[in-house]
Amino acid sequence: MRIQRISAIFEKDLKDFMKNMMVALLPVTPVLMTLFFNQSGNGGLPVIMHYLIVGITFSVVTSGSIMTILAEENEKHTLRGLIQSPATLWDIIIGKSLVTGLVTVLSLAVSLFIVGIEPFLNFKIIMGIILLFLFFLLLGIGVGLFAKSVASTSAYLMIVMILFGFTPMITLLGIGEGSVIMNIIDMFPLMQVIEMHSAGTWAPLGVLTLWTAASGMFTFVCFQKVMTDD
Amino acid sequence: MNHAVDVKGLRKVFGRSTAVHHVDFQVKQGEIFGLLGPSGSGKTTIVKMLTGELSPTEGDVTVLGRSSERLGTSDFKTKIGILSDNSALYERLTVFDNLKLFCKLYDTPVHQIDVILRDMDLHEEGDKTVAKLSKGMKQRVLLAKALIHKPELVFLDEPTSALDPASMARIHRGLQKLNEAGTTIVLTTHNMEEATELCDRVAFLHQGEFQEIDSPAALRYAYSTHTFHVETFSGEQLVIENEPENAERMKQLIEDGRIKTMQTDHPTLGQIFLKVTGKELV
Repeated sequence: MRIQRISAIFEKDLKDFMKNMMVALLPVTPVLMTLFFNQSGNGGLPVIMHYLIVGITFSVVTSGSIMTILAEENEKHTLRGLIQSPATLWDIIIGKSLVTGLVTVLSLAVSLFIVGIEPFLNFKIIMGIILLFLFFLLLGIGVGLFAKSVASTSAYLMIVMILFGFTPMITLLGIGEGSVIMNIIDMFPLMQVIEMHSAGTWAPLGVLTLWTAASGMFTFVCFQKVMTDD
Repeated sequence: MNHAVDVKGLRKVFGRSTAVHHVDFQVKQGEIFGLLGPSGSGKTTIVKMLTGELSPTEGDVTVLGRSSERLGTSDFKTKIGILSDNSALYERLTVFDNLKLFCKLYDTPVHQIDVILRDMDLHEEGDKTVAKLSKGMKQRVLLAKALIHKPELVFLDEPTSALDPASMARIHRGLQKLNEAGTTIVLTTHNMEEATELCDRVAFLHQGEFQEIDSPAALRYAYSTHTFHVETFSGEQLVIENEPENAERMKQLIEDGRIKTMQTDHPTLGQIFLKVTGKELV
């Protein structure tokens, strides 16, 4: 792993990001939704809405931008140039994640500035949010490598958003409490962070770690596939 | 003689089809070696095995002293340059920004960009966005990208396909200059004129097997029928075999000033390929 190579990929991605309207507008989406929620909240949002904003930010900005960036590199064969260079797998992953990380932090900071950060001022919750960010980042990288074209990422992003970003909204669909579906949904990453907040136990952090590890495995397998033509 | 590339019994199988059948060849240091064959003959598969992008099913590959297991390392990648048929540039960025990325990835000083842009006749295009360049210019930027770190060995997969003659000539000049500086070049092409002009040796590849390996001149001589086609001012068409007993007759024709045109019958590499494989080089 070489800092110079990571910073070269970061610098290139930052320039490319600012010239790519499709990706550059993604960080604005959660902020607009936060403003909308805040307006309709009449002076204070329930805690679950704070976590929904986190889920939207991570799914739309984190997964969405890295997915689109990588799918475009894959589609236009520029990723092949990075792979053929002396940059290692880690140089490429870290370099590419830095811009996404930066815009995610900016987007989330603005959103939380609007609604308040009180629910997150807890070491355990901060750990959970960091793991949640890694889960969405790795999932985005994996899907971006798997997707092959930018057009197909919209479909994949929709699935990621609905299942993992908007998970608390699924509970509003009227599915019976205690049903198998609800029990499965309760195990989803965002629900685990909410559980951490309400129950105050460490167990959800373990489940979240498993989700992140699974996401990491998926990314690793996808990267191994693109690293060689075998 | 040191070999930049040494291949013994190389074979590659994809599922049930064999793309490369037990191929043996060497590329000498400082040589331009051409792999000639039509699409699907196995040229790109061989190059990918030499660059470490594909692992061989069987056989030994040594490139710049490294065996096939060590071809994927960062150290090896700094020694080679690759221009493949699907190499690409970041279209939204400038030529300079594209090359700057690869300078940093290859630990090359950024001032090398000016040198390579001048070498590729692109010094006025550095600030232009890649999307605004012509196809020929983009191809030269791709070549600049492959060469910016001064590799010892360069793999060029169809570097001039679909380019206009002027762009092709510029790229040929760049490659000759590079080779004069000592860089070994492995070139795949189905353009026999390009191979004749650039390559020290060529290998004919057909259905994953080598049919011939030699210099273009030696191949053309070997497949020549050793005859002169002479057209006289009186309209006669003479076919004279290049044999000692015909020397006096040729001398007489020249002395009498009767010869309007005279041609040897050395075939082109394309014609030789057709003769050897029964297939056109397209």
